[in-house]
Amino acid sequence: MASSGNSGGLMSSAGLVRYFDSEDRNAIRIDPKTVMAFCVLFGVFVQVLTLTVA
Amino acid sequence: MGWKEAAEPVLTRMPTVARPEGHVPFKRKLLWTASVLMVYFFLTNIQLFGLGGQGSDIFGQFRSIIAGGQGSVLQVGIGPIVTASIVLQLLGGANLLGLDTENDPRDQILYQGLQKFLVVVMTALTAAPMVFSGGFLPANQALGQSLGVGTFGVQLIIFAQVFVGGILILFLDEIVSKWGVGSGVGLFIIAGVSQQLIGGILSWQGLGTTTGILASWYGILFGDLSLGPTFTGQWFQSILFDPGSILALFTTLLIFVIVVYAESVRVEIPLSHTRVRGARGRFPVKLIYASVLPMILVRALQANIQFVGQILYSQLGNGLPAILGQYSDGQPIGGLFYYLAPIQSRQDWMWFLGLTPGGIDPWQIGIRVGIDLIFMIVGGAIFAIFWVETTGMGPEATAEQIQDSGMQIPGFRRNPQVVEKVMERYIPQVTVIGGALVGLLAVMANMLGTIGNVSGTGLLLTVSITYKLYEEIAEEQLMEMHPMMRQMFGNE
Repeated sequence: MASSGNSGGLMSSAGLVRYFDSEDRNAIRIDPKTVMAFCVLFGVFVQVLTLTVA
Repeated sequence: MGWKEAAEPVLTRMPTVARPEGHVPFKRKLLWTASVLMVYFFLTNIQLFGLGGQGSDIFGQFRSIIAGGQGSVLQVGIGPIVTASIVLQLLGGANLLGLDTENDPRDQILYQGLQKFLVVVMTALTAAPMVFSGGFLPANQALGQSLGVGTFGVQLIIFAQVFVGGILILFLDEIVSKWGVGSGVGLFIIAGVSQQLIGGILSWQGLGTTTGILASWYGILFGDLSLGPTFTGQWFQSILFDPGSILALFTTLLIFVIVVYAESVRVEIPLSHTRVRGARGRFPVKLIYASVLPMILVRALQANIQFVGQILYSQLGNGLPAILGQYSDGQPIGGLFYYLAPIQSRQDWMWFLGLTPGGIDPWQIGIRVGIDLIFMIVGGAIFAIFWVETTGMGPEATAEQIQDSGMQIPGFRRNPQVVEKVMERYIPQVTVIGGALVGLLAVMANMLGTIGNVSGTGLLLTVSITYKLYEEIAEEQLMEMHPMMRQMFGNE
């Protein structure tokens, strides 16, 4: 088997969005836990809003 | 080099999910994937705040591949990601971007940024007509009055939620890609389709949804459901279609078998190591080389055409010229949008059983089936070629990979150009045949129907993504057990 030594060359299944190893130093980095926490809080917030206001 | 410099300050600063430092243990990867899946299901169950009714699903039958949920925070699903990907594929496939994503790290960063930027734009473009055109996500007028912001204010609030939901899907996908197994997009598709599939097998009437095939057959065997007089036309019809669903069961199994079989059909190009004599290898060019992923792009193109039709109809009503589209119950029954709508189920074409809506002639159905077939087969082939080119699976890229790994094709000179020539004999042909085949299969599955009414494309995607996922997990486990393999696969 030929292994791909290329960075980001290994395609994952159904990766419509491609991510490479190289990243800019200026880019804003977000911790994945922050994203998860935001998702849960956002969901809870919308639900609470629906229950209290409407 | 105009646009690159101009866009660089924006594109390089797009927020990204941090990469893991070093190796992520396999168990941790599974944990991340499972948590993302749970958060995804949680969000699809959160209804949008400010809705004044259910509204009709603008994606209709396309919902199974778009993922997300009608009326939920994840209303747009992976739609914007797919649409952005189409744009990038077309631009990249035609080499209009001028980005060298294979070798130049700077261009890779720009490509990533552009991708993310396009998804954000597409999320806004998809969400806006859904919210502001009225019928799809109706705003609660009473709420607008009590809050003093009016209907438009409520619409803005709904838009903001749908937009945030769309962006969250993008970040969830990124988490899975970087920290988990497979990709988020694939995960969300299999989650939705599997849910429908399991429902189609196990669900019973008490759940308030459609009856699954097991419950139907229980009813048939114990006399609760009647098939009609034995061996008459009606009997065969009930066995084949509802409630027997034998045809759907057959199609579903057939798709499973064909996809798993086709995954193993390949042309193998022999390789030998340049320095280590006797070390041999093979480079497989798979029949479904470009996988079935490009199919989602073709379907999404069709979905977007129907999306435009729905928006036009909701705005113009019956003022829409008949040549463009005539609608009844939100479904096109004539005009251009009717012919461009893909066949989604038996109800769309089995006129001889009286399943199609009245007033549609067999020749009209014939044209529609023909257009759908051409769209999927030709579109499948074209997008497969673009896909291979833009994801670095083309002749040139693979030749370089083989060269870099120190392998060569025995009997040929050790030179990337020579390897590329050999690759060019196989990859384009296999790609076109594979793409067209998958297109044909998707249309066929839709025409015959599947269990749980998951669309043919949805089923194809699910089976092949699951298969890929399985391969990836196997590879991960191999690397867990033999840390040396990590270096070989270049993951460290």
